[in-house]
Amino acid sequence: MRKVITYTLLIVFSLLFIAPLFWAVTTALKSPQELYLFPPKWIPSEWKFSNFAEAWNIQPFNLFLKNTVTVTALSTLGQLISCTLVAYGFARFQFKGRDFLFLIVLATMMIPWEVTMIPQYMEFNYLGWINTLKPLIVPSWFGSAYYIFLLRQFILTLPRELDEAATIDGASKLTVLFRIIVPLMGPSLILVGVFQVMSCWNDYLGPLIFLNDQTKYTLTLGLSQFKGMYGVDMQSIMAITCLISIPPLAIFFFAQRYIVGGIATTGIKG
Amino acid sequence: MKKRISLIVLATTMMVSVLSACGGSGGSTDTAGQGESGSNGTKTLRFATWDTGDTLKIEQDIAKKFEAEHPGTKVQVEAYADGFDQKMAAGFGAGNPPDVMYMWDFPTYHQSLEPLDSFAEKDKDLNIDDFYKGLFNYGKIDGKLYGIPAGFTTRVVYYNKKLFDTAGIPYPKDGWTWSEFQDIAQKLTDKSKKQYGFGVRAENDTYDLQGLVWSNGGSFISPDGKTIDGYMNSKETAESIQMFGDMVKNGSAVLTGGKGQQSGDDIFKAGKIAMWESGIWPLESFKKAGIDVGTVEMPAFPGKPLKGVLAESALSIAKDSKQKDLAWEFIKFYVSDESIKMRVADLPVRQSVVTELKKDQDPLYKPYYTMLERSDNTPAFLLNPKWNEVNRQLSAAVEAVMHGSNAQDVLNQAVKDSERYMK
Amino acid sequence: MAQTYLQNTREQTAALKLLRKRRWGGAAPYLFIFPWIFGFVVFTLGPLLFSLIISFFDWPIVGKVTFIGIDNYVEMFTDDPMFWKSLSVTLKFAVLFVPLNIVLALALAMLLNQKVRGSAIFRTAFYLPSVISGVALAMIWSWVYSGEYGILNYFLSLFGIQGPDWLNDTKWSLVAMVIASLWGQGSMMLIFLAGLKGIPKDLYESASIDGAGKIRQFFSVTIPMITPTILFNLITSIIAAFQQLTLALLLTGGGPMKSTYFYAMYMYENAFKYYKMGYSAANAWFMFLIVLVLTFLVFKSSEAWVFYEGEMKKNPQKKLKARKGGQTG
Repeated sequence: MRKVITYTLLIVFSLLFIAPLFWAVTTALKSPQELYLFPPKWIPSEWKFSNFAEAWNIQPFNLFLKNTVTVTALSTLGQLISCTLVAYGFARFQFKGRDFLFLIVLATMMIPWEVTMIPQYMEFNYLGWINTLKPLIVPSWFGSAYYIFLLRQFILTLPRELDEAATIDGASKLTVLFRIIVPLMGPSLILVGVFQVMSCWNDYLGPLIFLNDQTKYTLTLGLSQFKGMYGVDMQSIMAITCLISIPPLAIFFFAQRYIVGGIATTGIKG
Repeated sequence: MKKRISLIVLATTMMVSVLSACGGSGGSTDTAGQGESGSNGTKTLRFATWDTGDTLKIEQDIAKKFEAEHPGTKVQVEAYADGFDQKMAAGFGAGNPPDVMYMWDFPTYHQSLEPLDSFAEKDKDLNIDDFYKGLFNYGKIDGKLYGIPAGFTTRVVYYNKKLFDTAGIPYPKDGWTWSEFQDIAQKLTDKSKKQYGFGVRAENDTYDLQGLVWSNGGSFISPDGKTIDGYMNSKETAESIQMFGDMVKNGSAVLTGGKGQQSGDDIFKAGKIAMWESGIWPLESFKKAGIDVGTVEMPAFPGKPLKGVLAESALSIAKDSKQKDLAWEFIKFYVSDESIKMRVADLPVRQSVVTELKKDQDPLYKPYYTMLERSDNTPAFLLNPKWNEVNRQLSAAVEAVMHGSNAQDVLNQAVKDSERYMK
Repeated sequence: MAQTYLQNTREQTAALKLLRKRRWGGAAPYLFIFPWIFGFVVFTLGPLLFSLIISFFDWPIVGKVTFIGIDNYVEMFTDDPMFWKSLSVTLKFAVLFVPLNIVLALALAMLLNQKVRGSAIFRTAFYLPSVISGVALAMIWSWVYSGEYGILNYFLSLFGIQGPDWLNDTKWSLVAMVIASLWGQGSMMLIFLAGLKGIPKDLYESASIDGAGKIRQFFSVTIPMITPTILFNLITSIIAAFQQLTLALLLTGGGPMKSTYFYAMYMYENAFKYYKMGYSAANAWFMFLIVLVLTFLVFKSSEAWVFYEGEMKKNPQKKLKARKGGQTG
């Protein structure tokens, strides 16, 4: 009985979460005459797979893909390294001003970008980074509050005795971090990786503000090219959305079992 | 342990030096280099547009053509689509705007734009007289010209021929009135089929409503731009806006979504509204959706002259641009016969092109041009520098009318709330 | 487990004490957090101070900049109905969204934490909305919510229910926004799931030996063990609620009748629609302070209810102490 309820709930919620995407896929496949019908036509009478290729080729999406992959890969790598170091520093040491500094870390999450956007633009302009991918990559190498906070919370749940024992054995702090803590953090690091990939992949404002030349554009900027001031090409938006959702979805699919499989097996037995 | 710590120090110093290296080298070449001649002698001209899709594609083609005719020049088309306003704010705010850009909001930006009078006067190639009269007024602030018209649209009524045929109602003709319009809307409404005669926007751009208001002899602001009391809340103004509200109330019009929602365009494409009022923008997509669409002039109020409102896009040059002459060349090229003919999605701004393409003979396009002849009033935002603030109140009032409030009451209130911006 | 370490290393207790002392002082911690400090100073602090400074200026995007002292702040509090309106919309949204978001994410995570076949598929399905970019998301919701022609009301009509015109009805629009925001709970669910998986199985075993039923186990084992995760999700939810902008911007534009005019949207419009950069910065600093105070309160309170296994001694929770005692003893 319990199983039945569990499965029913799982399926119902899955449908709730999938249905709109299903609608996006069918919208992408419809012929223009069927797009706006009401009641909605769930299954197109003609499957126009060519819509995908057409939308993809209107703008140089291959190039956008390359840019997006570059930004996502480099910034994710940067976040993982920097946030691990910083989170460890906050979680495992007591030092003067720690709580105050951590509050500032948290505070940076609350800064609305509306106000920092223009000064930041000025700064990057001064550095000559406007219209390059650098503003989208370099700051990631210095940590981001959300991930630092997340990783700190994870490290705090690890028994302190683990690293203390290692320290007694003469290991340095950095060794403790990489030999003891990081292996235990596996799942949370993958979690951070996944989050960073998602947010980077779908970031719109950063690329919009800091990039000018189309050859530097990312996928979301390409996607927004279908949404003008005076009209929206819904079909192309849906087609491109479906296509560009595939890589992050695949990444998630492969990553999720490490996220949930993780601590229980590695952490506790270790 | 000491060794490890020194490793961290090393790593961080490396990061710092990489960072500063990026900054140092970039600072001198990238920004300053943009626009001025690079090492290989090519000049890059930055051109920002809000257009998307096929229109953007055409603009890119025009840019390529310009490059071909001007060796050593690269036109960097920067397509910001929906993010155009933000991008302009960042660019102008930080002193790094594009050289040439699409522009409509002259009251806000004119201080950062290059006056174009001297360019236009000394350049006979531009052939100003060939432009439709009145288009230039929209790009003028305090008598100075800041933008060259590149495209425009007036507003017309679209109708779905199939729905008219099914109901046995003759197609509307130019010179019709709002009472005829309301009659037809009533007849074409069939709630059981979720079909409506007309669609009313829940959130109107008050700019677009001006044609309606002027046609009833009203206006939002006095001609000198100093007074709104007695204009924005005049009987005529209230009446014309109330009419849309009433149509929603009596069920002959459906309320269509605000900004990002399923729009009237979409519902028209679904064949669920018989008549829809808009500019040229959705015409192509109506055809593509398989709607047999007709266009007709806006209806008039009985005994009063019909007025239209013009939405214009112009090209401007940034004051900070380092290559204004090249920018001017590009603008000139952009509004030349050749380019205008390429830009099929816009309405041509040159009379010669219209005559040549016989656009004013085409029944589908003719109403835009007859409406153009009726668009000689000056829109409110050009009359008062604080219009942005006043409009905040006005928009809220108009929205309230569409949701059932009494137009006269809310407009009186809006005038009261706006008075402080009028001093 | 940690306890085994303790038992094996009883003789090292003295050394441990020494070590705990050494946690204080030394340059090591500063070196670890150095990347963040550097990034903060270079990329955040400057722009932040700049925004503080311009909040005392009349700063149009183009044109003359004038120092006006605290006038922006005065205007905001005394002479701008939209300020109060948007603040109340955001507070309403936060009050609805934050608890619902946490409860839903936790419930879904617990659902996924069951042993079921195809769990990978279900997890991916639940996370799916988080993968879709904002532009498309808003468009999808507009089709779901449309009054006459919407998918949601179409479904409701199949059951004979006449749904409201969600986004054009001031009574429903904010609710609709909350639902749409909840739909993207994927990240939070995932964090909870990772937290749930981190709870050692033996805790449940010993709890059930003690005679605790499922519900008691939930409150005496599950909840205490994931309090660090709850703290994280609570704080990030509050921040997210206050920064909610994308949906309003892309879907309702703040309407109808300003019923979804979030504070973030108000700030955004002041900056990019009315080009009052200084005023917008003043708005932002006010919001910044509110969120900061809220976070600070939550954080301070967390010492009383958040349990970190790594910092056991600081925690006064009786239940947990009892559990620990039961286990080691």
